[in-house]
Amino acid sequence: MIKPVPPAFIFILGAMLLPLLGLRGRFRQPYLIFIPLVAFIDLLYLEPGTSWVYRFLGYDLVFARVDSLSLVMGYVFVIIAFLATLYSLHVKEDGQHLAAFLYVGSSLGVVFAGDYFSLFAFWEIMAVTSVFLIWYRRERESLEAGFRYVLMHIFGGCSLLTGIIIHIVSHGFTPVGPLEGGWASIFILMGFGLNTAFIPLHTWLPDSYPQGTVTGSVFLSVYTTKTGVYALARCFSGADAVAYMGGIMAVYGIVYALLQNDTRKLLSYHIISQVGYMIAGIGVGTALGINGGIAHLVNNILYKSLLFMCMGSVIYVTGKRKLTELGGLARLMPVTCIACVIASLSISGGPGFNGFVSKGMVISSAAGANKPILELMLILASVGTFLSFTKLCHFTFFAKNETIRAKDPPLNMQMAMILTAFSCVLIGVYPRVLFHVLPSSPVHYHPYTVSHVVGVVQLFLVAGLVFMVAKAVLSPHEGIVLDFDYFYRMMCRGIVWLCTTPLNGLRLRIQGFFSREVSAAARASKNPISVPERAIKYLHLRTLQMLRPVARGPEERVRELEQMRWRLTEIRNIAYDENAYRGPMGLGILLAVIFLFLYGLIYLAAS
Amino acid sequence: MARHLRLLFLLVVVSSIPAGFFMEHEHAVFPWHTIPSMDAIFGGLGALLLILGVKIIGSFASREEDFYD
Repeated sequence: MIKPVPPAFIFILGAMLLPLLGLRGRFRQPYLIFIPLVAFIDLLYLEPGTSWVYRFLGYDLVFARVDSLSLVMGYVFVIIAFLATLYSLHVKEDGQHLAAFLYVGSSLGVVFAGDYFSLFAFWEIMAVTSVFLIWYRRERESLEAGFRYVLMHIFGGCSLLTGIIIHIVSHGFTPVGPLEGGWASIFILMGFGLNTAFIPLHTWLPDSYPQGTVTGSVFLSVYTTKTGVYALARCFSGADAVAYMGGIMAVYGIVYALLQNDTRKLLSYHIISQVGYMIAGIGVGTALGINGGIAHLVNNILYKSLLFMCMGSVIYVTGKRKLTELGGLARLMPVTCIACVIASLSISGGPGFNGFVSKGMVISSAAGANKPILELMLILASVGTFLSFTKLCHFTFFAKNETIRAKDPPLNMQMAMILTAFSCVLIGVYPRVLFHVLPSSPVHYHPYTVSHVVGVVQLFLVAGLVFMVAKAVLSPHEGIVLDFDYFYRMMCRGIVWLCTTPLNGLRLRIQGFFSREVSAAARASKNPISVPERAIKYLHLRTLQMLRPVARGPEERVRELEQMRWRLTEIRNIAYDENAYRGPMGLGILLAVIFLFLYGLIYLAAS
Repeated sequence: MARHLRLLFLLVVVSSIPAGFFMEHEHAVFPWHTIPSMDAIFGGLGALLLILGVKIIGSFASREEDFYD
């Protein structure tokens, strides 16, 4: 009898063993594929209702609690982990695989977490491990984007922790579930909202995902935002504010996607738009809405990772990432081109592809819940998605470019793209595969009605006609488009100026004052008997100076004063150098971690 | 060749419009669900609206590539 374990631990253990085993060449690749397969088999043995509880500091931490929602998330997370690992098999750096496995493991940890503390712990591990998939690109822009990513996620994590603490203080240690109003809900919603890229907390996403490694961005496109959607489904389903935020995200993401030149930035804005559909369904809160939101999440994971695989392949082969530099790749990279067209039709919701099924569910749920504005917003976003992917495919694969040289990527990358494309078509043609695992089953929705199919075809045809006529307006341009991050960057620059100029000046003044006083005290302590005499002399000197500014005191005292002034000026002139403070700060943090670890050991030994 | 393809596409678009007059929305909730070929209208109007939005945002938010450097 096989006894299952929380699937998160399989990936985390797999990641830990990777550098320890030191596998190379033909032994490493089977090991990398083996881990997601083991996790999948483990999932098959998980029964709804199972849970793993660990008592810690008087709290029952539920590391894993299995139900229909966590299971569907677990399945899709593990399947895409397999496909993304297959796509990245050629990567030789163990660090990238390690970061990816820890990231997948912690995401599974969030999905199966039964209490808020466990959820928060995995949430933070997810944020920390995912940033390495950006930094491993080893370029200046990636390093900077990674730091901005971390900063935003620290803000989100702090907000989430604040909400969790308020919730536990006011409601006790409850399982992860629907939240009532109040400050706890607001903070928790902000924490979840940052990961799901609520407008205007979304800026980290289009800023960092295009800067990831070719393979890292495939992982990134899947887990962070989708765990956020999952958390919203658990805690905020049926909230009108969430539903309308979904509508805003769907339209906002599309408008900005249409303005992009960088292929992966375009895809990143589409993540915002597609996540908008998911949370619109969840916000509607009906059985069809929640099922639609989760179905769209599953489908989106498939076609969005496929799109990142395709664009990653283009970057891997050509080294070019801008639409203005691409074109003519259809004949040179046929497999990538076909996969990209399938993914584009899937994300646009074309009949026969998986997006058609779930997008229809979400839009129908908005109509069913009598939300006309939401329905119109989602339809508008559908039009934009089609326009945007017509643009992406046209300028990457079909536009004229005689100078470009390329061929399809390595076999493992091609295999991953083919399998993912097959999944998109399979669900599109046979949606019962998906309906079978949705949380509220049985699903009463029939996607292939005549009016739905004809309606979508008409929408595509007319939008395509507009694209043909207005191609010049939608053609890509060099440059960037400012988003809300402009305000954040300005605000951060303001904070840096405040710290380095006025506050640092104040610090130097205080430092100078105390240095002077301490040195005076040290001088006085050498000969304490002379203190009254020196004090009288000093007071006399000061009085003279005050009464007669031009009067000169004893020569020795004047020199002393000059020296003090010079030292003070010298201190003031020291430029602020952040590197000077990294060492002591790092040491402080290291000591804190060591003490925390020792404390934990003592606690464990004692209990 | 490209010109012929464009004409063919235009023909397909135009011929698809009447299809909407021969069917009904299964779950009509809002008034626009009852208008024939409303999805075609959504496609055209939506695309124009988005192009307008893109032009407006692009006009004041576009910057050089090295703007933040």
